[in-house]
Amino acid sequence: MADNSAGPRPAVIVGGNRIPFARANGQYALASNQDMLIAALDGLVARFGLSGQIVGEVAAGAVIKHSRDFNLTRESVLGSRLAPTTPAYDVQQACGTGLETMILVANKIALGQIDSGIAGGVDSTSAAPLAISEGMRKTLLAAHRAKAPLDRVRALKGLRPSDLVPQIPRNTEPRTGLSMGEHQAITTAEWQIGRKPQDELAAASHHNLAAAYDRGFFDDLVTPYLGLTRDQNLRSDTSVEKLALLRPVFGKGEGATMTAGNSTPLTDGASVVLLGSQEWADDHGLPALARFVDAQTAAVDYVNGGEGLLMAPAYAVVPLLARNGLSLQDFDYYEIHEAFASTVLVTLAAWESEKFCVERLGLDAPLGSIDRSKLNVNGSSLAAGHPFAATGGRIVASLAKKLSRKGSGRGLISICAAGGQGVAAILEAVRDE
Amino acid sequence: MSDPRTLTLDDTPNMAVLFTRAAATSIGRGGPLQDVQVRRPRARIHLPQLAAYDNVCGFALRDALPATYLHVLVFPLQLVLMADRRFPLGLAGLVHVRNRIVQHRPVDAAELLTLRASARELRPHPLGAAVDLVSSVRVGDELVWEGVSTYLSRGASVPGEIAPEQPVTLDLDPDAPPNAVWDVPGDMGRRYASVSGDVDPMHLSTLAAKAFGFPRILVQGMWTKAHALAAIEARLPEAYAVDVTFGHPLLLPSTASFFAAQQDHGWDFAVRPAQEAGDHLRGAVRAI
Repeated sequence: MADNSAGPRPAVIVGGNRIPFARANGQYALASNQDMLIAALDGLVARFGLSGQIVGEVAAGAVIKHSRDFNLTRESVLGSRLAPTTPAYDVQQACGTGLETMILVANKIALGQIDSGIAGGVDSTSAAPLAISEGMRKTLLAAHRAKAPLDRVRALKGLRPSDLVPQIPRNTEPRTGLSMGEHQAITTAEWQIGRKPQDELAAASHHNLAAAYDRGFFDDLVTPYLGLTRDQNLRSDTSVEKLALLRPVFGKGEGATMTAGNSTPLTDGASVVLLGSQEWADDHGLPALARFVDAQTAAVDYVNGGEGLLMAPAYAVVPLLARNGLSLQDFDYYEIHEAFASTVLVTLAAWESEKFCVERLGLDAPLGSIDRSKLNVNGSSLAAGHPFAATGGRIVASLAKKLSRKGSGRGLISICAAGGQGVAAILEAVRDE
Repeated sequence: MSDPRTLTLDDTPNMAVLFTRAAATSIGRGGPLQDVQVRRPRARIHLPQLAAYDNVCGFALRDALPATYLHVLVFPLQLVLMADRRFPLGLAGLVHVRNRIVQHRPVDAAELLTLRASARELRPHPLGAAVDLVSSVRVGDELVWEGVSTYLSRGASVPGEIAPEQPVTLDLDPDAPPNAVWDVPGDMGRRYASVSGDVDPMHLSTLAAKAFGFPRILVQGMWTKAHALAAIEARLPEAYAVDVTFGHPLLLPSTASFFAAQQDHGWDFAVRPAQEAGDHLRGAVRAI
């Protein structure tokens, strides 16, 4: 165990593993969250020789989860090749889940509470849990409480035909009744983001991801599963012209710019990342790809506060930069999760806007623009897909490897999440001493 | 021994038809074993069937196949042999008393398999006559899996001396509490039949079970074996042999206790139905 007298120590990213992401009702339609998380874990175990080993903890989660999966991560550990004495827990922060698990594990490593840990996430939109309607749930519980058989029958008589329809989980904000796409369409219109830049960003995402696969970048980051070797959503031959043919699916009338091509599709998949102290990595003969420097979460009032649902990462980055004495331009790579192409474009526009930075972020001047050639260089969610809780692990592992290849520099991660939340983090290359 | 006659199948046979034919021709069987093997080349894994099997037996859906799933693949070949009227023992009342599987290496769901089955060792048994259905799975020329299913025909007689059957010896603490208690629902026989093709009526209908002298439907022993392996799935060696004997039937619905203990090179385990003094299954896994 670590000696705590020296204060916090850095956590390093040793490596990662994910299964290729599949489109909803595609290759993984019959796989459960547990199946996919076990597959991702066992791939990591195989890659880093962890079979039968204990790691400090495993933190993971799923956004769409059946109530019987209350202990999903621990159950997955028990189904994996890790030692059954490895503790685990579930985390849920909507699409921020994956990155949040990395923060939790990295912090415990920094504090010397653990020496190593695995963080990640999984989501299936195909094997989604169905819930019984509120009417049926209340009626059945009333019948269960009833003591006499006649009272039970009386309680059951309250059941209406409409109560028999099961509820399918929806991608809708409970407090506004709007889907994420509908929310983002409002923000897109507000910031006057045109169709073409969105389609350009989407095409770049596919081309970058395809090129990364072609040059073998994902060979030690992805383990094939159930016949998939690449992300099922990836279209290497797509183009701005092809994307321009798609009809808008979110927004209304003339200003509707968001299509199925520049929005992420529903996806199934899992990802995990192995973190440790530098000492633990050295002791196990394992690499240290990057340091997990710092992270920040933020939330916006999208219900009554007039802010866009997916704008929180723009806010999270402000204290993160300040705390680390960095400007927005001090990065070699930017990983901005592509929930929608317009989410990325609005975030960049917001950082460039003096009005937004002064009035909303409380800064003296805009954060400024970034070098777009450093953005999502190996593709992002528009191409890979976005199994909600698995996106954090995909991004952290890819960025850490990219920094390790470069041998210097730092990267900024920004992930937006339902409920008006955002998670941001900084990774830095580990320099050879 | 001369080369056996080989019957090559291009497709998986219809199990219900085979069971019916076998039952209809059960009477008047006898004579020696035919020197014949059944072969099924180019067998592929159908993912939805594998997922359904995993679900019923409790395995996670992985690319590496459960060792017991390969038994499901060779079982139709065994049935082809047993349904043939020249097979010396009638299928009706034939009881699966022992199953030994050797997994030489994990088999991937994407691999193209050649399946083979033949019958060996027809012999007198203290309770009748026994025979081994011997199966193998190859990838190209590589032997990846072997299985031996021993079936007992109660009351049947074949010539020869009765040799004692080797028991599976286990090192389980008789006073230890169970590792798990299984609630096995009444439709488990039907559910396993739908994923394995083992549609023997005594697993499906109370009437048929009673005709064979059982008070209720009984679950297929290979479900119990699979469920036991699923319970220790993540801690199985890459290459191993798993040998189980089947004793008392597991009548449905049922509560059963699962006992397992890690040994030097594997696991010993047993499944005991509630209200039974003896075990339904006793088994051992050993790394090879």
